[in-house]
Amino acid sequence: MTRFAALRPALAATRAVGERELIAVVRSRTYWLLTAGVGVVVASVAAAGSGVDTGYVPTVVDLLVPTEVLVPAVAFAVGYRVIADDDRRGTLTVLETYPVPSSAYVLGVYLGRLAAVLATVSIPLILVGGYVAASAGPASPVFATHGGVDSPALYGRFLGSTALLAAAALAVALAASAVSGSRRRALVAGLLGLVAVVAGGDLGLLAAVNAGVVGSDTLSSVLAASPTSAYRGLVFETVVAVAVERSPGAVAVGPAVAGLVGWTLFSLLVATVAVSRR
Amino acid sequence: MTDTRLHADEVNRTFGDVAALTAVNLDVPAAAVTALVGPNGSGKTTLLRLLAGLDEPTAGTVAYHGPAATREVGYLPQRPSFRPGFTVAETLGFYARLVDDDPDRLVERVGLSAAADRRIEALSGGMTRLVGVAQSLAGSPPVVVLDEPGSGLDPEATARVFDVVERLAADGRTVVISSHDLALVERTADCVAVLDGGELVAHDSPAGLRASWGGPLVETVVDHVDGITTTPADEDTTAQASITGTDTTREADQ
Repeated sequence: MTRFAALRPALAATRAVGERELIAVVRSRTYWLLTAGVGVVVASVAAAGSGVDTGYVPTVVDLLVPTEVLVPAVAFAVGYRVIADDDRRGTLTVLETYPVPSSAYVLGVYLGRLAAVLATVSIPLILVGGYVAASAGPASPVFATHGGVDSPALYGRFLGSTALLAAAALAVALAASAVSGSRRRALVAGLLGLVAVVAGGDLGLLAAVNAGVVGSDTLSSVLAASPTSAYRGLVFETVVAVAVERSPGAVAVGPAVAGLVGWTLFSLLVATVAVSRR
Repeated sequence: MTDTRLHADEVNRTFGDVAALTAVNLDVPAAAVTALVGPNGSGKTTLLRLLAGLDEPTAGTVAYHGPAATREVGYLPQRPSFRPGFTVAETLGFYARLVDDDPDRLVERVGLSAAADRRIEALSGGMTRLVGVAQSLAGSPPVVVLDEPGSGLDPEATARVFDVVERLAADGRTVVISSHDLALVERTADCVAVLDGGELVAHDSPAGLRASWGGPLVETVVDHVDGITTTPADEDTTAQASITGTDTTREADQ
């Protein structure tokens, strides 16, 4: 009880900051353009492939690669300058005079922006899933799966994995925003972070494999260190592999989840330290 | 006078090789307006930030001697800026929530009730500054530190901001401001601390300074602060005086 009472002001601050962020994003015309753009891309990709007429898993296969790029791009667009802007306006300085720990501020910004990112990303994907259910889903929807059965649950796993990637990418974007001192630097840091999330990890792993630093026996675990590899591997292991009754061994599921959560927590820690040192 | 609310003891603050403040001793009395004056670069903002707890002295101490409070010191930055897209009421509502305060009270306190539903970006500079002052009052901090609350505003807006400052002290709040407007400082402040080159060269009431310096602050400060020059004042004009970094000017009210 006492511990909770001590945490209450920080939780209230996190909630206040989070709600402000969500309102700020939702009132932005840019956000709705971004959301519409993501919807158009997802719908186009789904329509161009044959997955939506076949089932959930084929749809996931169609959407996987575009999602790998789209989700981090949306996360960076929504988060790359928010903390830098608050710093430029003097808000961070003013907040130092309030009983608001840096961690509560960063968490509030993160949760508010994450809600917006998840809405932008998941609504088109859910609509596509709904279309599959209406047009090509199994006659008797199966919510618990075993090998070889297509199911809405598999599509749900795809959505869950995508949410994990969005959470990690947004955390990286906020860290980039927090360590940069101006809007221009925030843009540069955000773009570098985006490239790092989308391609940097994969390229680094490729170089490590070529150099012999990473062997085939450890590759499936080390892949989890790259956000996009971890995400791709998760989708293969928990969605595609289930349907085909054969694990491709793309990535170890536990380390992949831990990798994405680790990117999230580490980036939020970096953002918190950067904010507290201003 | 009254109790000391903030006490700076032998405070030094350096930035690399540059000494921004040197051996500053200052008592800030409770329920009074203390004004820091001096040319640009004299260390006013640095001292304000130290008094507000936003920075640490390189040497010496700054101590708060007020009652326990959720928020001990409120702060208004020199150029307050707020998140666009929100109304005055929403903006102050955000800060009020952080300290469980009533946003309507803050809006009323600075006389912005009529503008409560206006967007922040649609406000004049003076009104934005008043929103900043209201923000500094969230949580009823015993001490409020205002960094040049009248800078960049027209005389009417400046006077309105200073009226709010006077009322704060009258209600028992300790107020510390920095300002270049010596005429308003003489009218508003209970104590004046004069900084020059990072050193506190004088600290007294406006009447005390007037007595020891032999005239109004605006006319005599030139003799006590290095690097300040003055334009001779017309005795018939009402003072619109300011220290603008390298000169002290006195202009006729238009």
